[in-house]
Amino acid sequence: MAEISSDNGRKFTIPIGPQHPALKEPGHFEFVVDGEVIQEASVKLGYAHRGIEKIVEDRNYTQAMYILERVCGICSHVHASALAMGAEQLAGVEAPPRARAIRTLVYELERIHSHLLWLGVAAHEAGFEALFMYSWRDRETIMDILEEISGSRVHYSVNAIGGVRIDISAESAQNILKAVDFLEERSKHYLNVVSSDRVFLQRSRGIGVMSPEEGNRWGVVGPVARASGIKRDVRVDAPYAAYDIFPVTMITASEGDLEARFTVRVRELLESTRLVREVVKNLPEGELTTKVKRKIPPAETVVRIEAPRGELMYYMKSNGTDQPERIHGRTPTIPNMASVLHLTIGHQLADAPMILAGIDPCFSCNDRAVVLKSQSHSDLWSWDQLRQYGIDRYHGRT
Amino acid sequence: MDVLRQLLIIAIFPGGIFMLLIGLVYAWINGKLIARLQNRVGPRWFQPFADMLKLITKEEIVPEGTNKLLFELLPIVALAGPMTAALYVPMAGLRPSSSFQGDLIVTIYLLSLMTLCTGFAGANTRDRFSTIGATRALTQLFSYEAPFLLALLGPAIVAGTWQISEIITTNQGLWLVVTQPISFVIAIIGLMGKLEMHPFDAPEAKTEIVAGALTEYSGRGLALFKVGHYVELVIGLTLVAALFLGGLANPLMFLLKTLGLLLGISFLEALMTRLRIDQTVGLWWRYGSVLALLQLVILVIWSTLVS
Amino acid sequence: MSKKSNIFQDAISSFVQGPVTENYPAEKRPIADRFRGELSWSPEGCSGCNLCAKECPAGAIEVITLDRKAKRFVVRFRVDRCAFCGQCQTSCRKGCIDLANDRWELASYDRSDFEKLYGHPDDIAEYLASLNQSEATDD
Repeated sequence: MAEISSDNGRKFTIPIGPQHPALKEPGHFEFVVDGEVIQEASVKLGYAHRGIEKIVEDRNYTQAMYILERVCGICSHVHASALAMGAEQLAGVEAPPRARAIRTLVYELERIHSHLLWLGVAAHEAGFEALFMYSWRDRETIMDILEEISGSRVHYSVNAIGGVRIDISAESAQNILKAVDFLEERSKHYLNVVSSDRVFLQRSRGIGVMSPEEGNRWGVVGPVARASGIKRDVRVDAPYAAYDIFPVTMITASEGDLEARFTVRVRELLESTRLVREVVKNLPEGELTTKVKRKIPPAETVVRIEAPRGELMYYMKSNGTDQPERIHGRTPTIPNMASVLHLTIGHQLADAPMILAGIDPCFSCNDRAVVLKSQSHSDLWSWDQLRQYGIDRYHGRT
Repeated sequence: MDVLRQLLIIAIFPGGIFMLLIGLVYAWINGKLIARLQNRVGPRWFQPFADMLKLITKEEIVPEGTNKLLFELLPIVALAGPMTAALYVPMAGLRPSSSFQGDLIVTIYLLSLMTLCTGFAGANTRDRFSTIGATRALTQLFSYEAPFLLALLGPAIVAGTWQISEIITTNQGLWLVVTQPISFVIAIIGLMGKLEMHPFDAPEAKTEIVAGALTEYSGRGLALFKVGHYVELVIGLTLVAALFLGGLANPLMFLLKTLGLLLGISFLEALMTRLRIDQTVGLWWRYGSVLALLQLVILVIWSTLVS
Repeated sequence: MSKKSNIFQDAISSFVQGPVTENYPAEKRPIADRFRGELSWSPEGCSGCNLCAKECPAGAIEVITLDRKAKRFVVRFRVDRCAFCGQCQTSCRKGCIDLANDRWELASYDRSDFEKLYGHPDDIAEYLASLNQSEATDD
């Protein structure tokens, strides 16, 4: 074992990923362990880089919306609606109230879907297979509802530039209310389970504790930040879609450990069910879309959306044609990833997959960013330099 | 004729083919029960057989840097241990085919061979997951072995003998689960620890260290280890049922009692969160050993007072 | 639910009620009305605006114009490229395109099954004939 042990012969590196049963998505983690205790952690991302930001520069806004929808398989609606909202802002129009309410409805349904999925995955990482199976069974309810109202279980495609494509019929509204009642009851049950199952609490209470100061330093977002008592929720701070008409109560916890991340997400499930009920009952009447010209005048904008995993930001620039000049997204996993590397240190190897799952990582979302090592001394590159670097790199590849 | 009879005992019943078959059937029942408790369908009846057939026909890859002899020998020893133990327990409710004074101790140690082989197999390869898995497997061995032994000592002390068949005949009256509940619970949980069943499966925790000590095993070796686990499950259930649930008078009682125990085990397996290795060790040394010792002390005082 | 609810209740009710898993290929559930399955195109009313092909994010639709004045078009649809977003259905003002909710098991062993031609049978025949002709001249 000469090559895997270091100088004192006790530490060695445990690789997790890109192929590993703990991670269903490609990411590479290296944990240096001393016995069972993690001493160092490092991460390598980029296995699922698809060049999606470049692809959308060659498409018109409608096409780009469907391409961006495929950034993520779980929170597809937030990406598509971010582009739709950005295009509307660039064109200087606003979606009609009914369209905004329907978008809000789908945001919240998607959040229920995503949090239930996360609950199962995180329980699986802890070896709590029963919770995994039950939460995924109940998640089928919400997927059936999404299929009924949108026509697909994963990529809902409910957005259009200037509004939404679907309407909620009275019958669908009844079904949504029925499903939400069921899920509310189940969510209360899961809240009891994650906060009272004693064996499970041994694995989650006091593990991966992050103080608000640390959270702010690492810039964490979403439920991870809220579980550490950081009040950060775009739905409250800068309401978009119909969140100004249907206000959200921010769910926070002060403990900052894994248990808090579980309870915050499950309590957000309850909040989402309340919100869905309110939106369905008070859906404004009116048009579904406003007319948006195909060619959008040159402008720049930034869209912020609270995705199920945290704050999602899109920068968009138009150039007067029907194709965007530049679209850049920052997904919530990247800021949260830094916290994993810090939090795992000092914990046991067995806790590492749970701490990682605690941030609800989405690898295919975050793999649009490429870190360039600066060859010149300046960290600022002009567009031409960056382009030249790309061309040289492309030609110089082996 | 005597030689032929011995051969039959080893090859057909209760060793050999019978043990393999009943082990696979019990593995299927276990899987099915867990699935039903989790609202799933679960495997079909031939699934364990199909898995074994697949593994046996697969190419076995011996990784570089391992001792090839050990790599191939360890799975065989791991299966041979529980197979031999089958001769000393009242398998299928019939009399043990071999019996001598002290066979309880021999059986317990034959059952430990499995974990030892798993540990050695993990340490034999250079894989990092295997090494950690092996460390965890051996750590776990040292934690549950003493309480498990102490728990099984209870019935032996009451009966005043080390011979399994005599313990059963002496304790015909009241089921020992009533008089020694602590030992019974510790024996059941110890069996789960021995078999690395779910809450105690840190040595093969798949979300951390892939498959633990057996990560590098692919074909025949893995099949032998798996069958060994299944066989050991049946023997462990038989032993606990025989000692604590008033013996196994006939095949029907054998089925009822062992399957009842299996249902309980599946319940725990389906609903528990995996314990970290330090939590497992803490559980056994902090509570398991102390409680088992307490039970033993009560038993010793009681039997001295009675006699 | 009371404060005492725990996972054991789930286990017992699951054990009694039996698995919820569907026996998929044997039993199929009714599918939602809006479900987006395989595309179909009917030539009635098509004006040849080409909007469906222009807005398709996957490049799965190709409108082949045989005769613009007589409104004779053939649509070539590539199932293997389709992302089932349904934008073509929204874009088409004449309602020629439908994403059926009954055809969604589209796996095939043969790549040629993934390329479909829609249109009047005569138009398709003419288009195929013109294809063969151009191939012959190429040789």
